[in-house]
Amino acid sequence: MQLRKVANVVGSLQVFVALFMVTAAGVSALYGEAAVGGILTAAGITFVAGAGVYLFTTFEGDVTTRESFAIVTLAWATTAVAGALPYLLTGSLDSPVAAVFEAMSGFTTTGATVFTDIEALPYGILFWRSLTHWLGGMGIIVLVIAVLPYLGVGGMQLFQAEVPGLTPERLRPRITQTAKLLWLVYVGLTAAQTLLYVGGGMTWFDAVNHSFATLATGGFSTKNASLAAFESPYIHWVTIGFMYLAGVNFALHFRAAMGRPLYWGDQEWRFFTFVLLAAAVVMAGLNLAAGTHDALEPAVRDALFQSVSIITTTGFISADYELWVPGAQMTLFALFFVGGMTGSTGGGIKAARVLLLLKHTLNEIRKNLHPKAVLVARIGSKPVKEDVLAHLIGFVVLYLLLCLAGALAMGFMGMDPLTAIGASIATVGNVGPGFGNVGATEHYGWMSDSALAVLSFLMLVGRLEIYTVLVLFHRETWKARRSYH
Amino acid sequence: MRVLIVGAGEVGFHLAQRLSQENQDVVLIESDPDRAAFAQQQLDILTVVGNGASMSVLEEAGVRDARVIMAVTSRDEVNLIACLTAKKLGIEYTVARISNPEYYDRSSVLSREQMGIDLMVNPERECAWETYQLLQSAAATDVAHFAEGRLQLIGLKVLEGAPVAGRTLAELGVQLKDRHYLTAAIVREGVTEVPGPNSTIEVGDQVYMIAPTDEVQDIPLMAGHPRFALRRVMIAGGSAEGLYLAQVLEQHGIDCTILDRDRRRCVEMAEQLPKSLVLHADATDLELLEMEGVSGIDGYVAATGNDETNLLSSLLAKSIGARKVVTLIDKFEYLSLVPRVGIDASVSPRISTVNAILRYVRRGRVITVASLASIDAEAIEFKVEDDDFIVGRPLREVGFPEGGVIGAILRGDEIIIPRGDDMIMPGDDVIAFALPEAIGAVEKLFS
Repeated sequence: MQLRKVANVVGSLQVFVALFMVTAAGVSALYGEAAVGGILTAAGITFVAGAGVYLFTTFEGDVTTRESFAIVTLAWATTAVAGALPYLLTGSLDSPVAAVFEAMSGFTTTGATVFTDIEALPYGILFWRSLTHWLGGMGIIVLVIAVLPYLGVGGMQLFQAEVPGLTPERLRPRITQTAKLLWLVYVGLTAAQTLLYVGGGMTWFDAVNHSFATLATGGFSTKNASLAAFESPYIHWVTIGFMYLAGVNFALHFRAAMGRPLYWGDQEWRFFTFVLLAAAVVMAGLNLAAGTHDALEPAVRDALFQSVSIITTTGFISADYELWVPGAQMTLFALFFVGGMTGSTGGGIKAARVLLLLKHTLNEIRKNLHPKAVLVARIGSKPVKEDVLAHLIGFVVLYLLLCLAGALAMGFMGMDPLTAIGASIATVGNVGPGFGNVGATEHYGWMSDSALAVLSFLMLVGRLEIYTVLVLFHRETWKARRSYH
Repeated sequence: MRVLIVGAGEVGFHLAQRLSQENQDVVLIESDPDRAAFAQQQLDILTVVGNGASMSVLEEAGVRDARVIMAVTSRDEVNLIACLTAKKLGIEYTVARISNPEYYDRSSVLSREQMGIDLMVNPERECAWETYQLLQSAAATDVAHFAEGRLQLIGLKVLEGAPVAGRTLAELGVQLKDRHYLTAAIVREGVTEVPGPNSTIEVGDQVYMIAPTDEVQDIPLMAGHPRFALRRVMIAGGSAEGLYLAQVLEQHGIDCTILDRDRRRCVEMAEQLPKSLVLHADATDLELLEMEGVSGIDGYVAATGNDETNLLSSLLAKSIGARKVVTLIDKFEYLSLVPRVGIDASVSPRISTVNAILRYVRRGRVITVASLASIDAEAIEFKVEDDDFIVGRPLREVGFPEGGVIGAILRGDEIIIPRGDDMIMPGDDVIAFALPEAIGAVEKLFS
């Protein structure tokens, strides 16, 4: 592990972060706000620090596996700290921990906020929040890979550490080309959604911000009431559509744009779509039966909105689901454990993992009937190797343990069980809203600094799909022993 | 006629043997000197040591005088290049043994013509296909097919209470005149007879009948066998033949279980067989066979790649009540054992490949020849030309030689099972059935 290599990449990344802060300052200046000074100062500090580290370190050769884990984890942590500066320097937040939480929530596309009154914030700060989502959604490393060829072969290592997924899908032979194509799809969808919003009567500012938050499956809104603030069914339907698109594998979108729509042939897509539609039907039915809704369209729209929002881990809210009947609430709770498709911007366990785990479990049941059977789990017609399956089971166990540990920690800090569980699964899964005191209409602003620090960590671990971060806590990572790869 | 054979493995050796017995000049090319020497000793052929894909070796083997090259090494690429080279050197007919389906596939960008190959044979696939046919017609001990599978020849035993037992063929002809079938041979006490109208069918006979494939299922009923539907099959052994068979069964929606003792092979098969159940087990593990429901199973195929294991495994399966047991056997000495120990049928991967090759290339205008493992007679498919002796006369007037019979006439899409007043026209394909001593006389009719 060569720390100067790690520092070099992380430093160069901060230069980019600073550049994006300048655009937020630009927005602030456009609206003539006082906040522009604070944001520019934050950009200056980030730029000087990042460029300084970059100039005083060197990057030679390739990135080793261990270094890639360190680079990605440290890059995200540092970016969250840098991203907190605008909140502090404009006086929007006083506590540094709360500011890092907000930035981490932004970059990890969680969408949990500590702000109590969002609408009182300067436009520059609102834009910065949405921008952190948008940058984090596709992955800040992927962005760097797309524009910085110098990472070379190491780029693939970094790419995999940041976007682990199950089957790293290469759209093009070169990783930089793949990263560029993914960004192209991302930018295209963002632009489309913005235009549709504006066409539906949203202001340009709101449209851009909500598009950023939707495509990244983030969840920050410019309104206190989230999407419920817009009473237009059209806006809600557009949001449902784009949240859904953001939760689908971007490689599928790219292929469709190339004239080869392969959605139906993809079993993960069928599973993801089926689960979300089934959940929506159940919730709409229960809500109609219980009288929470009295008309069909709003019932279906609200059920679909909430289920898409949770399963894709976006976290937008169009109705307070905590007022729903327990059956509908528990259905939504179950969706916290599914997540988006692999290759999407969504978080969570990911649909492919859930599907494979179910298939593997079925195989284990069948094995009782045929003790000598050799059974292979497959996604579509593709068989999945046993070591991939073992890795996956490890992942799911760690994921659930992490949720449990988070809930325990929240409990020890005095939260009620529902809130503790809600906060934990909503941050590990990068969803945002949870249950109880962090429910649909609540926020995280009342929490102590220590609780926010723990939850920030959970968001980071969840976003980088656990292994990448936890590897750094294994002592062998830091020993100069044996493998350099 | 000179025939070049590349590769003296199981298939090549056996091909050389068969062709040299038929008085063809065989030159066998083999890279391993020991194998070449062995073949030279055993067979009346010429051997050349060297790489069959090399031009100089082909020249040395006399490629310019040869009519046919059969490249049957176990390596696809060697076979392809050998054929390609021989074709460029002016050989008329090329046969390549190809295992990789990608080369085989019609969707391949390299067409057979481009590769200079007239026939591709996949031994494992031929064998699996033949086994499948045997499983489907439960009563059959032999199955051969003609005309792209539209016509079948099946051999089976006549059981007690069979409707056909004790009748002459003339009587049966009157009684079953709506049915399209023809009795091509009767084996009684080890003697093969090509029957005339006055021959009778008796209980215990082994009879060979030709019928269109879609009517073939009635024949077992006529011979006194119960109706049978193939629903569940177990394949013991994950050899290439076993895997192909499992794939064929999956395609036909038949419930298939396949086992192998090598775990890695099991994983490989499980990945390729989405619908079958793959077991990591031994083919002779009686307890497991019972547990997995072999008693009462419709079909059991032993395909481990080892003759002895196959025989033992088949015996175990039969003893606990598998209905139709097929064994894959390569050693000729064992073939005669199969009916004696009560195993229903056997397939020889070697013979099925050799048949597949000979079917296409033997003797001038002969299209297909099927040699059946257990009897002497051969089925031969001729293409009829204008000036053939037999053309344009009712068959009853032709005076067909003793020991020979015309089994079927293929005219375009039509299949005719001939009777006395049918005539043969130019352009027909004719399938004749003949004892070895009558083959010459039959061939004369088509000249």
